[in-house]
Amino acid sequence: MKVTFPHLGNVYIAAKALFQGLGIECVIPPLSNKAALEIGSLYSPEEICLPFKIQLGNYIQSIEQGADTVIITGSCGPCRFGEYGEMQMNILRKLGYDVKFIVADSPSDIGIRELFKRIGYMTAYSNKNKIQKIKSLFDAIKIIELMDSVEGEARYKSGFELRKGECKRLLNKCKSEAFNAESPGEMIEVIQHYNEKIKNVEFDAQKNPIKVAVIGEIYTIIEPFSNLYIEDRLMEMGVSTKRRLTPSWWVKNTALSPLGLNSMDIKKASKDYMALCIGGHARECIGEAVLAKEDGFDGAIQIFPLGCMPEIVSKAILPKISKDLGLPIMTLVVDEMTGEAGYLTRVEAFIDLLERRREDVLSRC
Amino acid sequence: MKIGLPKGLLNYKYSTFFETFFFELGTEIVYSSDTNKEILDLGVKHCVDEACLPIKIFHGHVASLRDKCDLLITPRIMQIRKKEFICPKFCGLPEMLVNSIPNLPMITTAPLYFFSKEKLYSWCIASAEKITKDRSKVKAACTKAMEKQNNTSYGIKNQGFRKNIALIGHPYNIYDSFINMNLVKKLNKLGVGVITEEFVEEKDLDIQIQKLYKRPFWNFARNAFGFSTFMAEQKKIDGIIYISSFACGIDSVVIELIKSGIDEFPFMVLKIDEHTGEAGLETRIEAFVDMLGGGINYESNLSPLR
Ligand code: SF4
Ligand code: SF4
Repeated sequence: MKVTFPHLGNVYIAAKALFQGLGIECVIPPLSNKAALEIGSLYSPEEICLPFKIQLGNYIQSIEQGADTVIITGSCGPCRFGEYGEMQMNILRKLGYDVKFIVADSPSDIGIRELFKRIGYMTAYSNKNKIQKIKSLFDAIKIIELMDSVEGEARYKSGFELRKGECKRLLNKCKSEAFNAESPGEMIEVIQHYNEKIKNVEFDAQKNPIKVAVIGEIYTIIEPFSNLYIEDRLMEMGVSTKRRLTPSWWVKNTALSPLGLNSMDIKKASKDYMALCIGGHARECIGEAVLAKEDGFDGAIQIFPLGCMPEIVSKAILPKISKDLGLPIMTLVVDEMTGEAGYLTRVEAFIDLLERRREDVLSRC
Repeated sequence: MKIGLPKGLLNYKYSTFFETFFFELGTEIVYSSDTNKEILDLGVKHCVDEACLPIKIFHGHVASLRDKCDLLITPRIMQIRKKEFICPKFCGLPEMLVNSIPNLPMITTAPLYFFSKEKLYSWCIASAEKITKDRSKVKAACTKAMEKQNNTSYGIKNQGFRKNIALIGHPYNIYDSFINMNLVKKLNKLGVGVITEEFVEEKDLDIQIQKLYKRPFWNFARNAFGFSTFMAEQKKIDGIIYISSFACGIDSVVIELIKSGIDEFPFMVLKIDEHTGEAGLETRIEAFVDMLGGGINYESNLSPLR
């Protein structure tokens, strides 16, 4: 058995460690790329959302490299994501690829037995004992958390750094060295090392960079290829960014949600504008916009794939929030046709606007 | 107190419930007119661009009623059957409306779950808050409304046509003849009868959805998939027409599920938005009917005496 999985930001690094720990062979799809998107769009229904298409491209590129089992997580709220597995299976079967799908649905949907059965199917290929298996899982979770911390710090601090480009350089080095580590243990050490380094990046006390919150549909904000590497671009412009939705946030949120203890800050912040969970991560998007203001950010950028149902609801509400709080918010809708030039112009214009607003405020007082 | 009941969305299916409930409470009910060009334009003006046509049209209905009533029925339908969801846009409907349309009167915001009596009752209490505090009156009205709703039947089942098709789509796409440009009438004129999902038995649906790897996530998917695969399998119809709106996330999935469930069975998807032209739609319907072998002598259906 050779497993593969769809990309989502830095998760592939942790996944590599997980399968290595379990002793299961795995094919990591090439980082999401144009060819993957093209293949994916070719075989996907036209109106399906962008994440579906990129994921399908990921699988096909992996299958071509020998993968025979695809692992995906199942539903996460009333949205299309819950149906992805079934449709992707049908498409791959029709294309003549003989692959098995393991869908890790939530136990409330399929029953805890079925979930164990599905996971058991995979771990049966592992020759490790139970303790080792559990350890690999914990290692992987730790890696996800550490990577998110490194990335988050780097993106936020880059606006303040004394030596231009240092944060970016550290982040990239961390990713590549972690990925090339020999063992999960070594990987954790590498990331910890960089985590310290980034924490100690020297600040320029004179700097007061523009700060932007990145909000919106979870996949398109986490998977850099799908948003045309917006965080990297902003980093290059000297803008500090913050994104609350990360893979480790997702893990924690999913684990705590049966108890209703998940993301209390976001829930509280969204209360005045959207008190209920409507599916996808619309409520988070709303809450994060409010929090961005509270945290002193200059603006927020909402990103979602064309046709994304929950985010369209958020988009209808954001202008009101923007007006009430005086926080500029820009929406970027992405799909396979999104042209880079126009997209970047809009981002630049938005940052300009934020800068001008600051000057206005300064000159007024 | 005047209650505004906008047409559009699932009010096509549940208007009996709302009507009866508020009538029993002694309030006056104002309706929006049938969907027309003005309502569409109002909707397009007030709604976020990215939304689908039915949501835009609902915004239009709501906007057209805003000066004519004190409370608008804008149902936030969360679930119709247990464990089956509906489109996120329904769950966030009140928020979309209040943040997009200025000067709205009060609107109903309580979540609505149709599968449980208790939950329906709590919706009634919350929505009647400004009308009466008399719980027993609310309870009686709620019970009556439920009864009436359960006794109302929906669906289209034409009889006596040479060719028949199953018409699939969200209720508001099927019953709003402005949205679908009189699709049913057009088909009838071409000598084609129409049947909708209401005429299939629950147990047959259950058997059909067993074929899916996963229990459908949406209530709508269950009905549409179960109905169309059942009708195709039983050869009770000659073809299937799916009326859908652009940018409908649910349809994009359900259409694929149906396609893989019916193999080569004749199937056509009509997608509509505010720019769809009637002539183009007609051509497509005619071509499909021709393909079913129904268009050849349809004229004889219209004038059987000749
Ligand atoms: S949240 Fe948006 S992108 Fe995700 S499955 Fe739903 S519609 Fe698609
Ligand atoms: S189900 Fe489709 S057509 Fe209906 S509101 Fe949702 S997106 Fe629009």
